[in-house]
Amino acid sequence: MFGASRVAIAVSIIILILIPQLASNYVIYVVILAMLYAILTASYDLLTGYTGPLSFCHAAFYGLGAYTSAILTLRTGMSFWLAFPITGVWVFLFAAAVGYPALKIRGHYFAVTTFFFGHFVYLFLLNSRKLTNGPLGLRGIRPPDSILGIDFSSLNASYYLVLFFGVLIVVFLHLFVKSRIGRALVSIRENEDLAESIGINTSFYKVLAFSISAGLAGMAGSLFAHFFRLLHPSTFAWMISEMIVIMALVGGLGTLIGPIIGAGLVTFFLELVRPAPELRFILLSIMLILVLLFEPKGLMGIFWRIRGEK
Amino acid sequence: MLQIGNGLIIGSIYALVALGINVIWSIADVPDFSQGSIFVVSAYIGYFTVTWVKLPFVLALLAGMCVGSLMAFTFERFLYRRWRGAGRVQLLCAIALFFLWSNVVNALWTAKAKIFPAYLKGSLLGFSYMRLVVVAVAVILFVLVYIFIMKTKIGKAIRAASQESEAAQVLGININTVNSVVFMLGGALSGAAGVLVSPLYAIFPTMGDLPLLKALVVVILGGFGTVGGVLICGLGLGVLEALGAGYLSSAYQHGYAFIILIVVLTFLPKGLFGKM
Repeated sequence: MFGASRVAIAVSIIILILIPQLASNYVIYVVILAMLYAILTASYDLLTGYTGPLSFCHAAFYGLGAYTSAILTLRTGMSFWLAFPITGVWVFLFAAAVGYPALKIRGHYFAVTTFFFGHFVYLFLLNSRKLTNGPLGLRGIRPPDSILGIDFSSLNASYYLVLFFGVLIVVFLHLFVKSRIGRALVSIRENEDLAESIGINTSFYKVLAFSISAGLAGMAGSLFAHFFRLLHPSTFAWMISEMIVIMALVGGLGTLIGPIIGAGLVTFFLELVRPAPELRFILLSIMLILVLLFEPKGLMGIFWRIRGEK
Repeated sequence: MLQIGNGLIIGSIYALVALGINVIWSIADVPDFSQGSIFVVSAYIGYFTVTWVKLPFVLALLAGMCVGSLMAFTFERFLYRRWRGAGRVQLLCAIALFFLWSNVVNALWTAKAKIFPAYLKGSLLGFSYMRLVVVAVAVILFVLVYIFIMKTKIGKAIRAASQESEAAQVLGININTVNSVVFMLGGALSGAAGVLVSPLYAIFPTMGDLPLLKALVVVILGGFGTVGGVLICGLGLGVLEALGAGYLSSAYQHGYAFIILIVVLTFLPKGLFGKM
């Protein structure tokens, strides 16, 4: 089983590397989008899947990252290669400051607070016209500067850039959840009081998971900003947070690979129904209810069930 | 003075939605986001009752309340009930329903705002009669709910189930009936709020988002178990928002509730009345 899953991962990475050589520009564009969502769902999984607290504001950190990176490069002329890590650290610190009081509350109260926080960030992006240009959106964001002779304004180079950071982030998350800290996070998910009683500093680890998850979402936002070069607050509204939750649940929370598969499948599904945009979110929410009704563990649950029965 | 009055009016809308969510939360242990979509759907039902069917406003209000309680009943009976005790799944389901219905309304009736025809003309002390009707109906509904919960037999069952669900069941209280009743009550209150507010502003698919969020804040701050606490918190939040919009910045009018929530929860993690 271990060998088979490694082969599957290797094959999918080879396919991802080959896609720009084989597919049309449209497909490349969609795969870039899917990879950005995969970073978001994988980082979301660290908080909600591994540590437990249900959060509904992941798109807010995605948006904060996108706007931070765009404003840094636009206002100060900073290079993307410097703005990218700064964005990650800034969103990480910001999330730590928000998470410290917010994670003291548990269960539904935390979920409702995150929902409200997501809306608050959206309002901020919409209303701070001087900083974010409000509802008109930010334009003229530069692509990453060329490095080693690679020009990142081309689609293929952007593709490999997103793929590179996507793989890096997923490998980091994989090592993180397998580490000692990752096991501490799972123990918090399983029984917070018990984890605390055996000496795990639960509030520290919860804030850590929250901030890392947010920081990675911010980095995905930075990649998004310099790839699309156009930002609008509605790209980061609460609906997008819900979409991330749905992608992660469709794949299967707490497995890392599940949310990544979910992000890919849901992105392609959304492209299929592109001719009827008003149906997109209706079908997504029906999908979520069906997952809750029939397989709360998502696609990974179905996968395990098939293996178990064989 | 005008700002305080307007704050009380919008606050009574928050309080109405919050009362339903509060009772549902204390019985079914789920922050019922779907009340936000019930609010919107009822507003549209009220609008069509007045403009298409040409019935008076009172009947539109009743129609909105009926549709609201029917929706909430259906959600509870066929979805929430399956996951009783699994709060996380219920919450995800509530979010999914809210997400679903906001988009269904958008697909059915488009994002273009509709204007609810005025049903009453004239004003008193600078407040139009329609605004005063909101407060009057809200107060009447609060009194009715108070009597219902405190004086009737089913109200007593609701109070018992909210305190100790299992012990209540042992004593022969049918928990399914209690759930159905509280959801229908919540749906009717959200429906009433939706119809009441629509002549004051326009009707559009996302009109329920902010009242829902404010109502959830009111519930968290107000704690459970008191009808009066919900009313005070709802009105208080409305007044604070109106004053903040008037004297500080109107761009962040809808952010104040969040700031209040974070500040209160940082210092009092159990809410203002500490009954969580």
